[in-house]
Amino acid sequence: MSRFFATGSDSESEESSSAEEITPKATGAAFNKQNLLLSDDEEDTKRVVRSAKDKRFEELTNLIKTIRNAMKIRDMAKCLEEFEQLCRAFLKSKAIVDKEGVPQFYIRLLADLEDYLNQLWEDKEGKKKMNKNNAKALSTLRQKIRKYNRDFETDIANYKENPEQSAEEEEEKEEAESGSSMDSEDDAEESATAKSFMKKKPAAEAAPEASKFLKGADDESDSGSDDDDEIWGSDSTDSGSESEDNEGNAGSLAVAFLKKAAMDGDRMGDRKKEDRKKRSKKKERAEEEAEEEALEMEGGEWEKVKGGVPLVKEKPKMFAKGTEINTTVVVKKLNEILQARGKKGTDRAAQIELLHALAAISEEHNLGQGISVKIKFNIIASLYDYNPNLATFMKPDMWKKCLDCINELLDILFGNNNIFIGENIAEDSENLAVSEQPFRVRGCILTLVERMDEEFTKIMQNTDPHSQEYVDNLKDEGCVCNIIDRLLQYLESKGSTEEVCRVYLRRIMHTYYKFDYKTHRRSMGIQGESKSEQDQEESEGEDSAVIMDRLCKFIYAKDRTDRIRTCAILCHIYHHALHSRWYQARDLMLMSHLQDNIQHADPPVQILYNRTMVQLGICAFRQGMIKDAHNALLDIQSSGRAKELLGQGLLMRNMQERNAEQEKIEKRRQVPFHMHINLELLECVYLVSAMLLEIPYMAAHEFDARRRMISKQFHHQLRVGERQPLLGPPESMREHVVAASKAMKMGDWRTCHSFIINEKMNSKVWDLFPEAQRVREMLVRKIQEESLRTYLFTYSSVYDSISMETLSEMFQLELPTVHSIISKMIINEELMASLDQPTQTVVMHRTEPTSLQNMALQLAEKLGGLVENNERVFDLKQGVYGGYFNRDSDQRGGYQQRQGYQRGAYQQIISFVHSFTHPLPHSPPPPPSTDFLLFSFLFWVAFISVQLQISILCTSFSSS
Amino acid sequence: MSNPVLVSGGSVLCVQDLLSVGPLVPESFRRSGSGVALLVLVNMALSREPAAAAAANSLDSAVKQIQIEGLVVLKIIKHYQEEGQGSEVVQGVLLGLVVDDRLEITNCFPFPQHTEDDADFDEVHYQMEMMRSLRHVNIDHLHVGWYQSTFYGSFVSRALLDSQFSYQHAIEESVVLVYDPIKTAQGSLSLKAYRLTPKLMEICKEKDFSSEGLKKANVGFESMFEEVPIVIRNSHLISVFLWELEDKSTVAEKHELLGLSSGSYLEKSLQMLMDRVDDMSQDIVKYNNYSRSLSKQQQQKHQYIQRRQQENAQRQSRGEPPLPEEDLSKLFKPPQAPPRMDTLLIAGQINTYCQTVKEFTAQNLGKLFMAEALQGHGS
Repeated sequence: MSRFFATGSDSESEESSSAEEITPKATGAAFNKQNLLLSDDEEDTKRVVRSAKDKRFEELTNLIKTIRNAMKIRDMAKCLEEFEQLCRAFLKSKAIVDKEGVPQFYIRLLADLEDYLNQLWEDKEGKKKMNKNNAKALSTLRQKIRKYNRDFETDIANYKENPEQSAEEEEEKEEAESGSSMDSEDDAEESATAKSFMKKKPAAEAAPEASKFLKGADDESDSGSDDDDEIWGSDSTDSGSESEDNEGNAGSLAVAFLKKAAMDGDRMGDRKKEDRKKRSKKKERAEEEAEEEALEMEGGEWEKVKGGVPLVKEKPKMFAKGTEINTTVVVKKLNEILQARGKKGTDRAAQIELLHALAAISEEHNLGQGISVKIKFNIIASLYDYNPNLATFMKPDMWKKCLDCINELLDILFGNNNIFIGENIAEDSENLAVSEQPFRVRGCILTLVERMDEEFTKIMQNTDPHSQEYVDNLKDEGCVCNIIDRLLQYLESKGSTEEVCRVYLRRIMHTYYKFDYKTHRRSMGIQGESKSEQDQEESEGEDSAVIMDRLCKFIYAKDRTDRIRTCAILCHIYHHALHSRWYQARDLMLMSHLQDNIQHADPPVQILYNRTMVQLGICAFRQGMIKDAHNALLDIQSSGRAKELLGQGLLMRNMQERNAEQEKIEKRRQVPFHMHINLELLECVYLVSAMLLEIPYMAAHEFDARRRMISKQFHHQLRVGERQPLLGPPESMREHVVAASKAMKMGDWRTCHSFIINEKMNSKVWDLFPEAQRVREMLVRKIQEESLRTYLFTYSSVYDSISMETLSEMFQLELPTVHSIISKMIINEELMASLDQPTQTVVMHRTEPTSLQNMALQLAEKLGGLVENNERVFDLKQGVYGGYFNRDSDQRGGYQQRQGYQRGAYQQIISFVHSFTHPLPHSPPPPPSTDFLLFSFLFWVAFISVQLQISILCTSFSSS
Repeated sequence: MSNPVLVSGGSVLCVQDLLSVGPLVPESFRRSGSGVALLVLVNMALSREPAAAAAANSLDSAVKQIQIEGLVVLKIIKHYQEEGQGSEVVQGVLLGLVVDDRLEITNCFPFPQHTEDDADFDEVHYQMEMMRSLRHVNIDHLHVGWYQSTFYGSFVSRALLDSQFSYQHAIEESVVLVYDPIKTAQGSLSLKAYRLTPKLMEICKEKDFSSEGLKKANVGFESMFEEVPIVIRNSHLISVFLWELEDKSTVAEKHELLGLSSGSYLEKSLQMLMDRVDDMSQDIVKYNNYSRSLSKQQQQKHQYIQRRQQENAQRQSRGEPPLPEEDLSKLFKPPQAPPRMDTLLIAGQINTYCQTVKEFTAQNLGKLFMAEALQGHGS
């Protein structure tokens, strides 16, 4: 039995075997039962498979023939050559062999060949007579076949045990090969004519005619013979159309026939009964048979046969007339349709139609909600299946259907409280029939909705964002949200916590990036609208903030999978940030400790994280927390791949870094356009915050050797700006910022302001903020303050004292602000000055190190580096070889002492220089003459030490 | 016969001299104009005994002392003032002859500045022509070296080394005179004569600048160049003229030598020193990497040999023939050793910078003490 079903996909062999029993004549006549199951187009598809198999086997037999010939004339070279070809051919037909089992004739050849070779090998005399070429071929071939036969050991052993049987088969095969005439002689007359008829036509074209012919034959035989004969008669006619193709492999199949002959007996009984029932409906016979078989054959064994049967294109009739339609029948039918799912050659559109039809039938017969829910599930699933690969998106009509279907499904679910659905309900514990018990249906509505959501994303990803189509598609978002909302309601009452978490996350995902204009307007207290409108708005629903809060908190509390919680947190932060709730957002971010392990998350979550960070940064900027904004945006911007990191587009890269496969994956991760964060806004915010931080810093540390860049990207922009040979008025956003930075460097806040905030920049950047005016005001103020600081850093050396009033006038700041800024600078030791309260002036102390002093410090540091490097060379020498100083241990000790001493001296000098150049901020400056005296003395010392260092260094080189 | 004096030989000495001379100094400068001032200076120096001359530590080379005509000094100074600006370097040929172990430089002529236009200018031809012409007017025509100006003492370079090597290779007694116009402008004539040491000559001849080569030759940065003491000599007529001139000339308002400003010079020196230190650091890092990779390879080689030996021993015990010897140097190509000459030069340059800064600060220190004393005296 099992063998039969294992080879079941190739229906001819089985069928023919069953036929053989009835007409136990030549094997060739046996291929006849096909038309029981196959309609015309089925035959078409079948033929492809069969011909491939035939071709292979024919190839094999041809090769075998040549080998045998070569064996006869002892042409070993030829034999070897052919054998190699044979092996290759066999490998090619592996797919078929896997299905069919290794063909007997092949085994037979292998066994014979081995025997033959062994014989030759033993025959020393004969070997001597052979020419060199042949002898060589013989030994190689012998080795080869030995190795090769190892794979077929059991088969060959079988063959050797029972060579007669195989030989018989061989003969049979040869008969089949020799032509179909033999078969036809034994066969009924019609079959003979049919065959001759068929032979005139190429196989592919033959199909329709053949069917016509078949009908005729059927009628003919109808009149004459009894039931069985008629059926089988017509079968044999049909076989005519196929026997041609079958001839080649007939022999190989013979074994299978023999084995199966026994079990076909019991099947025949069934078949006869069926046949009697259906005689009147010849036209639809094929499907019906399939149908009935599926229904009647119990135990699922026969479903195998169904699997290969593609569905008919013409409007199918589901059930035989008169069949009583009940739940079981429909479920059977449903299963049968589903069996074809995912198979090659299955028409997916037709399948969907079939399912719809089935749904209609079940409606019609009032089979109850259970069954329709089940069918709906399957319809949706097959809608998703419609696209064979993941990359493509659903067509609009499919999408519409899908939405409708899900809506209907939800309607049913809401309408009937007694339906239980779940993934965990096993097929056999389903309860679909209308009965006292509640319905139990296998299936997960949540998964379907999630999939729908993903499909929606996919559609959005694949639509050109600047087209009307995108807008149209986007309108469906409401629908999607609606469905999710409904599902949410449903699951809140029925679902498990996990499911609720999942659906909540979906809801959150559709909420977090949307700016809640209603609440915003309400909080702004704009009275523009009429009262009624406002009321309506208020009644429309709760704030998105409230919703987010509720959903997220539920997830925080209940979720067990880390991923959902992570996503929820990120969305929550994003939402806070979007609505300028900076502190909440920041606290949530810090409390979640997401920064620590986000790199282990999967890419979509990382993208979400990046989006959140960016949003956080922009939020901080709006709040005037420039430093925070800069820090949040630094990572994203410094990489220069913001676009990629936010999932808003792929960077152009060469193919080495990314192959087509990866590109597809990355494309799938892209965030749909309507969720994008404006990249120009992002960059502008970053650059402006960098400017506000960097320019004063640069001014403060003009001479500092260890000055570090706060923002590399900003510096890069500045350099680009400097490289321009001719500076026109700024055009792009970056140029604006660069121009503004230059103005700020000079402490010219008015110019800086005009560069940052003007018509162009407003339209490009600032107007994108919901509270544009407030942001602009904040920005102006920041520019004024930072310009003041820059001015003081840059020009304090020029002033002996400066009145705060003048400063406040210069920078349009109130006096207290100026006062506080200057005080802060003094406290932070950025500005060496003191405030003179009565006159409201800043008195400069002028204790900043002179350029010479700065230089001395730099030199000291550089020398430190030098000494360190030098010591590393020594370490290496001593560590590995013990080389230089090992020669004389005394010397070594001396050196180390000396080195220690020197380093000590060096450190002292450095610290001395430091203490000298950085006196206490408020101590009176030392008189210049002593300054100089000390200083030159210092130099003297320093240089002697430098010289010593260098001399040591050079001796180390010269003696190493 | 006027008294020759050692000009080079340490400005510390000079400052001490100045201090000891004390109030005398301003008077002796009374009449010096800018051009004449130098002559006066030289003259003034001439009037003192050559105490340090004996300390000249010439090595066992052909030339132990150099005697320069005042004319040559003036010509070099003039050449720079007319043609060199800023960091540009002027060069020229020294003419003279060798008397015993003393090289007398009696005349010189400049090289024209190179410009883009005369790319096909033939230097050799020009030199020969010049010398021939000078010979016609009965001037010494023996080539004894060359001179070069310098910018803040940055003359220790590959170019100088190479050309001095080729000079010294061809003409054994050649020297290079290095003239520092900036120091001279501050009031003290700075003219130094250098020769390559015999050790360095050896190395340059063999072109072996690897660390082993330098080690073998025992060359450090101090022993690259040897400084030859210089004596400036004027004819009696000139001396007489100068004495006369001293009486006639009016008091100069400015005394560069006593200027107390020092910032710019120090800054510049420091800046250049720092650049060199940076170079040095880089070189050391390079060398460090090299020695690290070398040692790593040595280790690998060692392991390989050991493994080989073990295997051979095993094979011997089994009675099999030992593995064939393979070329180890092929298996382990030693990494390219960085040439050490540049490092040496940088070290030498740093040394010179340090010397100049040291001298400068010492002088300034002296000047400050002097100024303080004067102030105290005046008040």
